[in-house]
Amino acid sequence: MLFILAWRNVWRNKKRSLIIIAAITAGLSCGLLASAVMYGMYESLINSTIDRELGHIQIHSIEFDEEKILNDTIPDFKSVLNEIKKIPEISGLSSRVIIEGMCSSASSSRGVKINGIVPEDEIKVTTIQKQIIEGSYFSSNLSAEVVIGKKLAENLDVKIRSKIVLSFQDFEGNIVYAAFRVAGIYRTESSLYDQSVIFVKQSELFSLLNSKDFSHEISLRLNSFQQVDSVYSKLSKKFPTLSVKDWKLLAPEIKVYYEILDIQLYFFMGIILFALLFGITNTMLMSVIERIREIGILIALGMKRSKIFLMIIIETIALSLVGGIAGLIVGVIIIEIVNSTGINLSAFTEGLSQFSISTVLYPVLPLSFYPIITIMIIFSAIIAAIYPAIKAIRLKPATAIRTY
Amino acid sequence: MKLIELTDVSRIYDETIVPVKAVDNVSLQIDTGEFTAIVGPSGSGKTTLLNLIGGLDQPTSGKILVDGTDISTYKEDELINFRLHHIGFVFQAYNLIPVFTAKENVEFIMLLQNISKEEREKKAISFLEAVGLKERINNFPTELSGGQQQRVAVARALASTPSFVLADEPTANLDSVSAESLLDLMEDLNEKHNMTFIFSTHDEKVIKRAHRIIQLRDGRIEKDIVTKKNN
Repeated sequence: MLFILAWRNVWRNKKRSLIIIAAITAGLSCGLLASAVMYGMYESLINSTIDRELGHIQIHSIEFDEEKILNDTIPDFKSVLNEIKKIPEISGLSSRVIIEGMCSSASSSRGVKINGIVPEDEIKVTTIQKQIIEGSYFSSNLSAEVVIGKKLAENLDVKIRSKIVLSFQDFEGNIVYAAFRVAGIYRTESSLYDQSVIFVKQSELFSLLNSKDFSHEISLRLNSFQQVDSVYSKLSKKFPTLSVKDWKLLAPEIKVYYEILDIQLYFFMGIILFALLFGITNTMLMSVIERIREIGILIALGMKRSKIFLMIIIETIALSLVGGIAGLIVGVIIIEIVNSTGINLSAFTEGLSQFSISTVLYPVLPLSFYPIITIMIIFSAIIAAIYPAIKAIRLKPATAIRTY
Repeated sequence: MKLIELTDVSRIYDETIVPVKAVDNVSLQIDTGEFTAIVGPSGSGKTTLLNLIGGLDQPTSGKILVDGTDISTYKEDELINFRLHHIGFVFQAYNLIPVFTAKENVEFIMLLQNISKEEREKKAISFLEAVGLKERINNFPTELSGGQQQRVAVARALASTPSFVLADEPTANLDSVSAESLLDLMEDLNEKHNMTFIFSTHDEKVIKRAHRIIQLRDGRIEKDIVTKKNN
């Protein structure tokens, strides 16, 4: 009955209640959309980094991890590959040769990371093939092909089929020179990546180095993001003499973003709720002041002050929850609509590419966000109700029942 | 049987600034079954005396015994509990809870007494029947006339099975027909169920029906006249 009383009291002054409910709905839904955009932005950063380069997990020799020199190859990498292939969660794996070298055209030179790959394997792990904007992603019948980034192509002033010369040290420290033709030009979300990473077939590197097959890096892609932790621990146990790292260890700065993002968003929503809290307090205070005589009657009849306090708290929670739930529903609908179309930020391509963020943003919020926001709304309502509730319980019944 | 006993009761407001003696050294006794009117001009202390008897206010000095219990030393929480179980209130402006129906208004006091839902409903309906509002149990106060609202207030006062009912100017907002009808009801309850009623009033209709009239002036009892012996 106390709940019925509180609920009906909320709707006594419909206009006033609807105004504060509308304010909560608007504030919350806009806050959720802004949070979803931020979350989508960070998710884009994480996904693009994983899709473009890292994969979910990488394996190196421990020495390569420290120095990244040519000799630090994965010992007996073929048996490592065979072992990894037995893990069912793995959807793709790419063995890479990684060499630091120079890339020169007729007009300029740049330091680059040369990724020697098996093109058919690489497409199962990263998305470089899909990001080709000119030319093609290697053709099986041609040799000495290189795929470079758009930014590097601009820096070297080269086009498709242009010739470039790659130079790097062999195992003995001698400089190897080799001419390659540009087969494809890619563009990713990161301009830094585009100007510093090139791809060649690893078989060509083996012949240039006059060496048998070897590998510096095995990059893995899993069936789902959620499997990373379990597969990572499985591989760490299986290969204790190798360096096994998941994407969080490979890109710790992104991991930190990822970890503080939730805190940032809750803090952001907390600020919105804090601002709304004053509106709720004001509404409830007006409601209490309008009902001084009635509250006095309740106390006179024998209603304990603790129950009066509880009644005001329930009224405030009910009022806030109606606005809060409406805000959550409106927020989810807006996020879903915007998520289906995406937000085109191509006008800011230059700036966004510095941070490896896609130019089309898809706002998204994890499901776990919503119950926590609901708890935050209830918590805010309780805080908002305290002052009006104290005002109500301090009333003297003999005076209050004569207030008109 | 002695129900209420006031001994040298005074109530002084604004003691530290300009002291106002609203009730000045009043002693009186009210027995079970009385139908008593406290009368007097405005500012004579009627309402203050009623508040003191009803535990809505505490005396500055003196002793108030109700059913042999001294309530003048009670703390706020004890007074709330005392009012809930011993006193039925009928106020001048009806003062029903506007968001509750007639039945819910009567039920609410029993809810505070932790009476079960079934019993509450049964009792609420029977009290509303007793005050002649059987057909109006699901109406909200705004859908009832002043007289009907005051009848609901009487039903609410009786629902807590109090030792006595305090009625502060109960007919002040009613037309003469509704006022007479309400007084008939109260008189009937007094005669049939020996329910004690204490009124504060200016209304001649109430004064005429009262069995005892306590007249106040400047916070003191000026006259105390018994017009009709209790049954």
